[in-house]
Amino acid sequence: MTVRVLKPGPLATLQGAPRQGLRHQGIPASGPADPLSMALANRLVGNAPDATAMEITLGGAAFEFLGEVAFAVTGAPASCTLSGDAAPQHETLRARPGDILVIPFSDAGTRLYFAVAGGFSATQILGSASTFLPAGIGGLDGRALGPGDEIEALPCAGGGVPSLEKTPEKTPDRLRPAMTHEHRLCCVPGPDFPESGDAIWGQTFRASPRMDRIGIEMTGNWPPFAGSALKPSAALFPGAVQLTPSGAAFVLLPDCQTTGGYPHILQVIRADRHLLGQIRPGDRVNFSRRTAEEGHEELKAKAAQFGGWLPGFRF
Amino acid sequence: MTGPEIRPIGDDALALIVADRPRRHALAATLRESGKWLDVVPGKGEVTVQFDPLSLPPGEARAVLAALAQALPPEDALTPPHVTLTLLADTESAPDLGAIAEANQLTEDALLARIAASPLIVDMMGFTPGFAYVEGVDPALQVERLAKPRQKVPAGSVGILTGQLGLYALSSPGGWPIIGRILEPLFDPTATPPFRLEVGMPVRMEIRR
Repeated sequence: MTVRVLKPGPLATLQGAPRQGLRHQGIPASGPADPLSMALANRLVGNAPDATAMEITLGGAAFEFLGEVAFAVTGAPASCTLSGDAAPQHETLRARPGDILVIPFSDAGTRLYFAVAGGFSATQILGSASTFLPAGIGGLDGRALGPGDEIEALPCAGGGVPSLEKTPEKTPDRLRPAMTHEHRLCCVPGPDFPESGDAIWGQTFRASPRMDRIGIEMTGNWPPFAGSALKPSAALFPGAVQLTPSGAAFVLLPDCQTTGGYPHILQVIRADRHLLGQIRPGDRVNFSRRTAEEGHEELKAKAAQFGGWLPGFRF
Repeated sequence: MTGPEIRPIGDDALALIVADRPRRHALAATLRESGKWLDVVPGKGEVTVQFDPLSLPPGEARAVLAALAQALPPEDALTPPHVTLTLLADTESAPDLGAIAEANQLTEDALLARIAASPLIVDMMGFTPGFAYVEGVDPALQVERLAKPRQKVPAGSVGILTGQLGLYALSSPGGWPIIGRILEPLFDPTATPPFRLEVGMPVRMEIRR
């Protein structure tokens, strides 16, 4: 079974598991910007949570199915159609050869996930199929998907297309992530949290149009950047919030650099990092203070909330 | 004696402060071999470990890190074998060489000879895949960042700042003045291991004009 890209939209890539254990060599995690939404799509077609799926940015995409397969679309809400009929998100759907999936632009959220039963075939590099564009690795030849690209689905575990015979599934309502233009991100103060940092908690910041899979620029009333604030490079991970000389801050996403020297003022807690992938230019963002222990409690609570539906998924 | 200095980094990472470079590198290797961590990343003055709090609760992570940090004998550093790299410093590959030589009142050849004679060692890798911070450059050579970073620096480019070189394994934006290009590939994602350099590795430069 093969899917042909008719229109990729602004950016479509193949993403799977993040790369792990290679940050000391400068290799970032990559993987989906919103791993929860990708896991939900994979769940509906019987895949493992990190099976390779397509990450579509904002929408504006169209695909042709060259074979019969079960598929699902999750993430940013969009009124998708399959050969003209409504194709609701968060449901297992069935495509026949020649069917056209149209994913229009969403009006909230940023990333949609398109999964097929078996998962998409992709180049495994450094232990993962995830595309990392700056190094040209993973996914389809290390690049963004373009019109005319044909991507094969891998055979399902046990052979055949088992998801077609099963009853179609829907993500339970209570587990569907809400997509709005307002985001609350729980954060632990970072190692360079400034003296005047407490003012951050009461403010609203705005996501600027400068965003990609590396980071999102957030404008607003940040503490001042002192010239002396540059420090020797230290490790960074997705979820880090760095203050920059321009006065704006960057929230880092899965393709972020592995080390850096700008002040690391906040760290979005592990349980909330999946939210970063859905922040859209113009969205309002608040930061809510947590201790590391509270972050751990929230992680346990979220893992318990999703664990039954998404066995094997790790936030 | 008090225990090692450990700073939390968010809710799922800890930084172990280790000022001494050989000890930092040895500790990073020990921590990686322990298999307890998702990632082990040496920086300029610390080693940071990331963990999944659902597998290793934060309190336990701290205790494990403290124990691993104590257990290591301080003189345990194993130096990887040295690597020899060819530094091409022709006009095209070394756009900032002339200006740096002039600012330091040296000829270009004398400046390159000074670098080649320096006891170079890979201190850290990070920023982008395979980017290597190489320390040991004669600190008498004074070099500052470019006022305006380049949009694109070719793969293999060698940047310089006071006291250190920065080797760009991949083409990327870059703010370091460029004094040449390494002819050997530094990153090959299909090779095992994919990088020519590793932390702690002594580096020899052969200059080609």
